[in-house]
Amino acid sequence: MKKILAILLTTAMVVSMAACGDNSGSNSGSNSGTTNENGGGADNTTSGGGSGDITIWVADAVVDFTQEQVNAFMAAHPDYAGYTVTIESVGEGDAASNMVTDVLGGADIYAFAQDQLSRLISANALMELTGDYASFVETSNDAGAVGASKVGDATYAFPITSDNGYFMFYDSSVVSDPTSLDAILADCAAAGKNFYMEINSGWYATAFFFATGCELTYETDDSGKFVSSNITYASDAGVSALKAMINMYKDPAFLNGSDVGTATNAGAIISGTWNVSAAKDMFGDNYACAKLPSFTVDGKSYQMSGFGGFKLIGVKPQTDVDKAVVCLELAKWLSGEEVQLARYQAVGWGPSNLNAQQNEAVQSDEALAALAEQLAFTIPQGQYPNEYWDLAVSLGDSIIAGDYNNYDDAQLMEVLQQFQTTCESYAQ
Amino acid sequence: MANTKKTSSKKLNQLISNTITYIFLVVISIIWLFPFVGLILQSFRSYETEYGGMVNYFLPKQFSLDAYKYLFVAENKFLKWYGNTLIIAIVVAIINTIMILCVSYALSRMRFKGRTALMKFWLILGMFPGFLTMICLYFLLKQFGLTQAGAVPGLILISVAASGMGYYVCKGYLDTIPRSLDESARIDGASNARIFVTMLLPLSKPIVIYTALVAFLAPWCDYVFASYVAFGYSDGYNVAVALQRWVWTNDYQGYFTRFCAGGVLVAIPVTILFLCLQKYYVEGVTGGAVKG
Amino acid sequence: MGKDKKSTSGIGSAFKHFGADVREIGTTFVQGDWKTKVSFVIMGFGSLMRGQILRGLVFLASEILFIYYMASFGIGYLKDITTLGTVATYTDKSGIVPVTVYGDNSFFILLYSILSIFFIIALIFLWRINIRQNYTAEKMLREGKQLPTIKQDLGSLLNENFDKTLLALPCAGVFLFVVLPIIFMICIAFTNYDADHQSPANLFTWVGLDNFKNLFSMGSSGFGSTFVTVLLWTLIWAFFATFLNYFLGMAVAILINKKGIKFKKMWRTILVMTIAVPQFVSLLYVTKMFAADGLVNTYLLKWHIIQQAIPFWTQASYAKVMIILINVWIGIPYMVLMATGLLMNIPEDLYESARIDGANGFQMFRKITLPYMLFVTGPYLLTSFTGNLNNFNVIFLLTRGGPQSMKLTGGAGYTDLLITWLYKMTVDDTNYRMAAVIGIFIFVVTAVISLSVYRLLPSVKDEEGFQ
Repeated sequence: MKKILAILLTTAMVVSMAACGDNSGSNSGSNSGTTNENGGGADNTTSGGGSGDITIWVADAVVDFTQEQVNAFMAAHPDYAGYTVTIESVGEGDAASNMVTDVLGGADIYAFAQDQLSRLISANALMELTGDYASFVETSNDAGAVGASKVGDATYAFPITSDNGYFMFYDSSVVSDPTSLDAILADCAAAGKNFYMEINSGWYATAFFFATGCELTYETDDSGKFVSSNITYASDAGVSALKAMINMYKDPAFLNGSDVGTATNAGAIISGTWNVSAAKDMFGDNYACAKLPSFTVDGKSYQMSGFGGFKLIGVKPQTDVDKAVVCLELAKWLSGEEVQLARYQAVGWGPSNLNAQQNEAVQSDEALAALAEQLAFTIPQGQYPNEYWDLAVSLGDSIIAGDYNNYDDAQLMEVLQQFQTTCESYAQ
Repeated sequence: MANTKKTSSKKLNQLISNTITYIFLVVISIIWLFPFVGLILQSFRSYETEYGGMVNYFLPKQFSLDAYKYLFVAENKFLKWYGNTLIIAIVVAIINTIMILCVSYALSRMRFKGRTALMKFWLILGMFPGFLTMICLYFLLKQFGLTQAGAVPGLILISVAASGMGYYVCKGYLDTIPRSLDESARIDGASNARIFVTMLLPLSKPIVIYTALVAFLAPWCDYVFASYVAFGYSDGYNVAVALQRWVWTNDYQGYFTRFCAGGVLVAIPVTILFLCLQKYYVEGVTGGAVKG
Repeated sequence: MGKDKKSTSGIGSAFKHFGADVREIGTTFVQGDWKTKVSFVIMGFGSLMRGQILRGLVFLASEILFIYYMASFGIGYLKDITTLGTVATYTDKSGIVPVTVYGDNSFFILLYSILSIFFIIALIFLWRINIRQNYTAEKMLREGKQLPTIKQDLGSLLNENFDKTLLALPCAGVFLFVVLPIIFMICIAFTNYDADHQSPANLFTWVGLDNFKNLFSMGSSGFGSTFVTVLLWTLIWAFFATFLNYFLGMAVAILINKKGIKFKKMWRTILVMTIAVPQFVSLLYVTKMFAADGLVNTYLLKWHIIQQAIPFWTQASYAKVMIILINVWIGIPYMVLMATGLLMNIPEDLYESARIDGANGFQMFRKITLPYMLFVTGPYLLTSFTGNLNNFNVIFLLTRGGPQSMKLTGGAGYTDLLITWLYKMTVDDTNYRMAAVIGIFIFVVTAVISLSVYRLLPSVKDEEGFQ
């Protein structure tokens, strides 16, 4: 009798697996056929046929805004009426890691920070922009943003903001001189407040290393794989930067962190535009912004540097030409001049579009002005392997744990040598 | 005389030791309750005047219901997420209990070929870490169409499918019910099914409640696999996935009080259930743990 | 389904069984009538012809379904098992916009191949049963007995074969959602499935033992020394988390149960709050409480008890102690609830006679309470130890495995357990191949510890003795 049950069971399973398997099987089988046909047949951009679902992933703050813009887009393009657009709040960080996990299950259009570009390309999660789309990106955005959307000669995404860098928010009643790190730390200590900067992060730590003249860049091939690196952390400049970080960590007024929401006692905090409204809430009337301060080490003063970054919006590779066109048009629209300006007005994100940047309101924005001022001292953020960010956390955590408190220059050099060698091993 | 002296000194001793015990119990009660009181107090902080991020003081400067109001506004999906979790928790509690009872009865009361082999096999399976198979389970569910829009049934399926392996406590409890009971019934001609339903089930009330309670609790805390399965589809989130995004992702600034409020709302039904069913929980877990 | 054929006896007797099986199949074929002989090809034929319609149909249906499955689906995947796919995904740039054409999906090739292999095994197994059924049916008819009717067949499922009814669904679920994925992930440990070889964009393939070599190579990119550090902490953590909670929980339960203590239920209820509030809420709050700018440090600084914030989470040694202490906070209530019930089971007269002998409280605990508790909770201790080896929540919510250090590789931190490290690799880095290797090692560690302890437990040794 056990047999009969075993049989029933297998039967049920075979049926269900065969049924669902069949679907996926025939899908992947027939894909090549349909797409080729379409590729040959659809010649004009405004063919407009087809229907389907399009999912967009954007950060929570701009979900409503994006919905409005998509409605406007659909109203302007009645021939795309067959497509239903859904917008989900999936932040830039989550979007990238989700897309890498399962491209097919991910969104058709999604926003991400530029540092994810090579990872997304090697996971085949971005459609290459060609022809008009590429030249649209090229001509309408600032040079940094254009560079950020490219790997090799190929363009992969539409820039939407040029504000993905960091600068300083501070309490003007606490900090009197925002240009010098030592003065800020002293002011904060005097007021019983803290100065926050996230030094266990590969992103913020470069503010020190690039300031003293270190370099850290990677080259990728066209498929997004890292092929070579140029790293000079193991140098006197690197030792100076590391020393400055250790000194800052030793100051009792310093705390590690960049998140306004979790900083409980901030006199000043180094963070980016996504924290503007939270910082305004926290500092109230004393809210102020400035470029990063300068720090002094071994009697020499350096202006903090760092990354200038960009946010991009990309389209997932499509198997259907009609849908691909709609997605591209929609992404192009969402990164256009009007929408960027509207986005600035809605949530304060700094545009990458050249014309939008000339807008008066944008020019007079306090946070964006601080960022723009800082931009002169930064390098545009290129592509970095995922492991680099992890390694930088390790370096920062070691500083915070006080591992290097009593190290001399030679020992610090050893640490940096190890860091550099490991970084170089990520690109072969 | 000497006797009364002895008793009075004994009483004094008892008094001292009881006082020490009381002090100790009060101290640990404070330690145990402190985070919860903090959590509740934070959830009542005013969003308008005090900003919603974390703060380094304990008492709110101004009490308000801002955070709770936010959770119930129409465009927020908190109620949807709460509902999802409630559905998952209830369904999982019911089906899991049935599955576990079935397995426990078979393993406790019946002797069949392959019984010990099955128990050993499941014991070994249980030693593989759950996260190992997460990616595989995700794609498996996706093949059935049970991710994203199908996240709720998907999560139910995953929780229920392997539930049979968690039979230990329940079987241990059934083992403590004397076999002579069902043997006499069997002599009277009752079938196994009848013995199970009419005799053992009524005697198993504590373990049924314990099993259901444990199964009911798990979905409220699942933020890892649930976020995988929902895969960016916000209607498919459960409460845990939604709430942890508020504290862990950069997109949500100043959501800490709302997170606390959400946490309090999650804690309410669970706490009430626990308080009402504590007696059975104790009976179940002690009965079952003896045989583990 | 996954359970049968698991003979625990040695390999030798397994071969003997197999030999006997083959012989029986042979005799059945030679001595059987034509119905039986046809059943060797068309399953269930004999049962159908002998009037056992239900049994026959089930056999027949499963054979047909199997053939249909293999022909339409299974073979297509199974044929690629050695390479895991050869057709790469490419982008067709000839049209107005680039269009992607997906090639083979290594992931599904592997998954469905494993499934198909299982189905083949299952069919062979069914086929064997089918033959045995013919054999017994013929024998019964020869002896002039009645074959069981459909009604009898179904009825037995509620009595003699009730275990099959009860276990069918649980076993099926375990097979599909536990066994299959585990075997799949074990296979992944022998492939190069990682961020650079991810389906459907890229193919992955078999690489033999490379990943295991990588784990044990000690170079800067190797995982060796980090693995040892993490493993050691995992063991230390599991030890403290289990035994500290066990004894402290018992102590608190004894205090609450003490004669003359009032409000017993209230004390217990206060403790139980930690169970009722989900950990991701309470632990996140506790983490922040002990942060450098959290409540505890702020107040300690304000009251001038300390001069500088205590690095609760940023220094490895502090973090480890904190984790263990906070786990006490989480874990004691479970133990208190359990101990409460168990303590009441200890006969009061045992204590009474000890008291007359002049034993003090501690002696009574050592001689009466502890031995009893250890005896009955042995299995619980074991399961909670293995559970703590894989206690993801506490570590992840408190420190996320940090602090990291330049001395560790692979993104591991000083408070990472193997399981949290595994999580980071799977979710953050999509480094599935190394994650699978670590997963296998977690299994080995857990299995070695538990199986060696398991055999020593008195209550396991004689399972029947208790009833």
